[in-house]
Amino acid sequence: MLQRFLDPNVLAGISGLDLVARTVVDGFVAGLHRSPDFGFSQEFAEYRAYTPGDDLRHVDWNVFARTERAYLKRYRGETNCQLTVLLDCSRSMKYTSHTIDKLEYARYLTASLAYLAKMQRDAAGLIVFDDEVRNFVPPSTRQGQLARLLHAIEKAEVGNRTDYAKPFSHVREFLHRRGLIAVISDFWEPPEQIVNTIAPLRFHGNEVVLFHVLDPGEIRPKFRDPALLEDLESGATLEVSPEYASKEYPVKIDAHLEEIRSKAKGAGLDYFLIDTSRPLDDALREYLAIRRGRM
Amino acid sequence: MGFFTPWFLAGAAAVGLPIWLHLLKRHKTDPKLFPSLMFFEFRETSSVKHRRLDHILLFVLRTLMILLLALLFASPFIRRSAAASDGKKLTVVAVDRSFSMRDGDRLARAKNQALQVLGSLKPGDQAQVIALAGQVQALTQVISDPAALRAAVVAVQPGDSRASFGELARYLRTLSEAQKIPLEVHLASDLQKSAMPAGFADLRLAPATTLVFHPVGGAEKNWTVENVAAPRRVFDPKRVKVQATIAGFGTSATKRTVTLLLNGRELQSKSVDVPENGRAQVEFLGLDAPYGFSKGEVRIDSADSLPADDHYYFSTERTDPRKVLFIDDGRRPRAELYFRDALDSTGDGGFQMETLRPDVAAGATLSSYAFVVLNDLSSVPGNLESSLEHYANAGGSVLVSVGPGSAVLPRVPVLDEAIQTSSYAGREGDRFLTVTDIDAGHPALRSVDGFNGVKFYQAIHVSAAKSRVLAKLNDQTPLVLERAVGEGKVLAFTSTFDNVLNDLPIHASWVPFVAQTALYLGGGGAEQPVNLPVDSYVELRVGDSQGAAAEVLDPDGKRLLSLEEAVKARNFALDREGFFEIKTAAGRRSLVAAHADRRESDLTPIPPETLDLWKGTGSIDSSPGGGPAGAADAADKPWGLWPYILLLLLGVAVAESVVADGFLRPSAPQRDEMKREAA
Repeated sequence: MLQRFLDPNVLAGISGLDLVARTVVDGFVAGLHRSPDFGFSQEFAEYRAYTPGDDLRHVDWNVFARTERAYLKRYRGETNCQLTVLLDCSRSMKYTSHTIDKLEYARYLTASLAYLAKMQRDAAGLIVFDDEVRNFVPPSTRQGQLARLLHAIEKAEVGNRTDYAKPFSHVREFLHRRGLIAVISDFWEPPEQIVNTIAPLRFHGNEVVLFHVLDPGEIRPKFRDPALLEDLESGATLEVSPEYASKEYPVKIDAHLEEIRSKAKGAGLDYFLIDTSRPLDDALREYLAIRRGRM
Repeated sequence: MGFFTPWFLAGAAAVGLPIWLHLLKRHKTDPKLFPSLMFFEFRETSSVKHRRLDHILLFVLRTLMILLLALLFASPFIRRSAAASDGKKLTVVAVDRSFSMRDGDRLARAKNQALQVLGSLKPGDQAQVIALAGQVQALTQVISDPAALRAAVVAVQPGDSRASFGELARYLRTLSEAQKIPLEVHLASDLQKSAMPAGFADLRLAPATTLVFHPVGGAEKNWTVENVAAPRRVFDPKRVKVQATIAGFGTSATKRTVTLLLNGRELQSKSVDVPENGRAQVEFLGLDAPYGFSKGEVRIDSADSLPADDHYYFSTERTDPRKVLFIDDGRRPRAELYFRDALDSTGDGGFQMETLRPDVAAGATLSSYAFVVLNDLSSVPGNLESSLEHYANAGGSVLVSVGPGSAVLPRVPVLDEAIQTSSYAGREGDRFLTVTDIDAGHPALRSVDGFNGVKFYQAIHVSAAKSRVLAKLNDQTPLVLERAVGEGKVLAFTSTFDNVLNDLPIHASWVPFVAQTALYLGGGGAEQPVNLPVDSYVELRVGDSQGAAAEVLDPDGKRLLSLEEAVKARNFALDREGFFEIKTAAGRRSLVAAHADRRESDLTPIPPETLDLWKGTGSIDSSPGGGPAGAADAADKPWGLWPYILLLLLGVAVAESVVADGFLRPSAPQRDEMKREAA
């Protein structure tokens, strides 16, 4: 029943990213509870002996009562999880061939990731970029962080064309702690350039995930008649025949996607292609499954 | 080939519109947004050319549409030589059968001439025979059967109508337009000058019309009874005067004997000197007519070749003075006095006034009165009003005086108009009202001299919602109103007939006003004359009184109207001389005397130069430099091509719609996409 609300078309009708994120993540978590290893949450990791200087809030006072020894209770999720989402809001993200455009879909995805992180008490941050860094919300676990993130996501509007080089050099300055970096973009650049720009983020010990958001009309465009196409970012126009769009273009785009996938893998980046016509929780579930090596 | 309006060809410049749409605009319109073109390549052969080929038919059709539209407005034509149109022509043989053709053997000679023309036709030649009288009668269709054509000519009989060459020219123009081939018209006629229309332009012939005259008469001396003035009704036979005018055309001074006959009985005979080429008048005193309608005739001794115009019919009716009912409640005794004196002073003494109180009049038989006068009644009994309305609907007439007494009534009796206010003026100084607007052509007001100098001190303002205002005072108060009620009529005078509210009864206008109103109202319907020329119309009904039958008996006593005509016909044309007995739908009977138009008695022919000018109107030289008229064979006729272009344009427009629908209608997926974009 809940699944019905996760269709992108239905989510588009829900006002407020908060509710969208709750709808996605709650349903997603409810689905995971049937699994013996649900992974990405408050999972007990180990006990460690207290040493002076440790935060007393983490002492397990039940153990202390039984043994009169102070142990700290540590969770797996607390070990290194600082989530930073890089949201591409270039002009090409405005494209859609159905109800919901790529930017909107990316917003939902970002909000869902932020909500997921909040549930695990992870620090979550956001960087909105096109050819510049348009907005930056530093990762934090403070009260109200989710609201700040959602507000920033809500405000994200399409800007100019994409240029990964400039914003990503700034991003490296912002990220001082290791953590998880999620890049959500349509990646309309040569794969080599994309990977070369993003791969340096890995050097600080970060785990980088590429969410490649594409509209089905971009993967398999359908034209009945010759059409005049205008590039959303550059404004260039081109006459395109239906024969080309149906025969040659799919070959090229498939090769492009495969090249991105292979180059990302080669650079140690996680890559995940998301079709905006698919339900959002499916995408998240698949991503986590890949992450857990359970695919 | 030429153009009537060549400047419209400039509209062909609009052909740039489809060129722009198809060749220029297509690169710029409807771009589809796409995130990135990095995997697309420019392939002209597969996209642009494909599109160009797809729309080439549409482009051609649209261009053709604009060119045809410009051509249509420019009205192209080709010149078709009338003479050279396959050598065909239509021969029209016109035989004059007007009244003047009764002179001697004119008609026989005209028929002979016509037969000779028909005899000269080749087998297969198209021809038509027409007869010329008051109107043109086509005796045959356009045929090539010589026997039928000859039979039509032989069957032509003399008529009593007046010839009209204007009518002939109009008919020939229509025929030329319909047949679209040259006409050769042979007119066998006495070519009377009096048959010419008032304006020479009415004689204009269509191009490529050749007119050939076959004159059958000349100027001959002729005496005629030109006119007879006799009273329509005879009340006192001894007081009646009958005046006759004897005219001579091309005659020398001579003495003629004039005889007055009534119902075939000779009453009086007089001798008169008719001057050379002039007129003389004869007056007969007394007309011993029996009661009822009488057929009168004034005749002169015949001394010329046209005896048909030596007599003149007139109709008269011997009757007792007709009764006029004056309904008076006694409040205005002087009104009755003035009205009676005025009525008695009319020339023929045809009216006899009878005065009754309203309550007594309610029981009277109103149909026996010529008309009824309501003298400012302050109350009208219900049964009187209903019988008055019934009387008016059946053709009776009512004269209503609306004074201060009637002002208490809500509406004017029978006239059925609201009584509103009263207009007052003082007797002192200049404070009085006068008549400013008057319909001086109305029979009741024809000789009242506009009520000039008559002072009105009070008038009752009556609304004129249904009525016609015949006279108004200077404060715009209607003074005389008229309304048709059924077959009859009602006249209202919004003042009184005594000299209290106005000084009309002591004014010179009073007697003519009463006399003419009495004649108008008592005459029964529109007082149509009973002595009329042939081809005049007699009115058979005035309202929509269908169902009531009219009746017409011709001079031979035969009924002329079919049953349907009897209940529907509004008028009837007098087509021959003689006495016609008429009964109108309102039931009024009359005896109408029809006589030939006396202009036919003047046998003077049209001058030859006028005939030449007339012939010349049928041939137009089409050469740019112009030239003398008369070259009928060279006349070219412009032949408009617009109907064909219009048809072609319609065909192209339909084809364009079909092709455009096939090319430009979005496919189902495109429609879905458009819906999504709109959402």
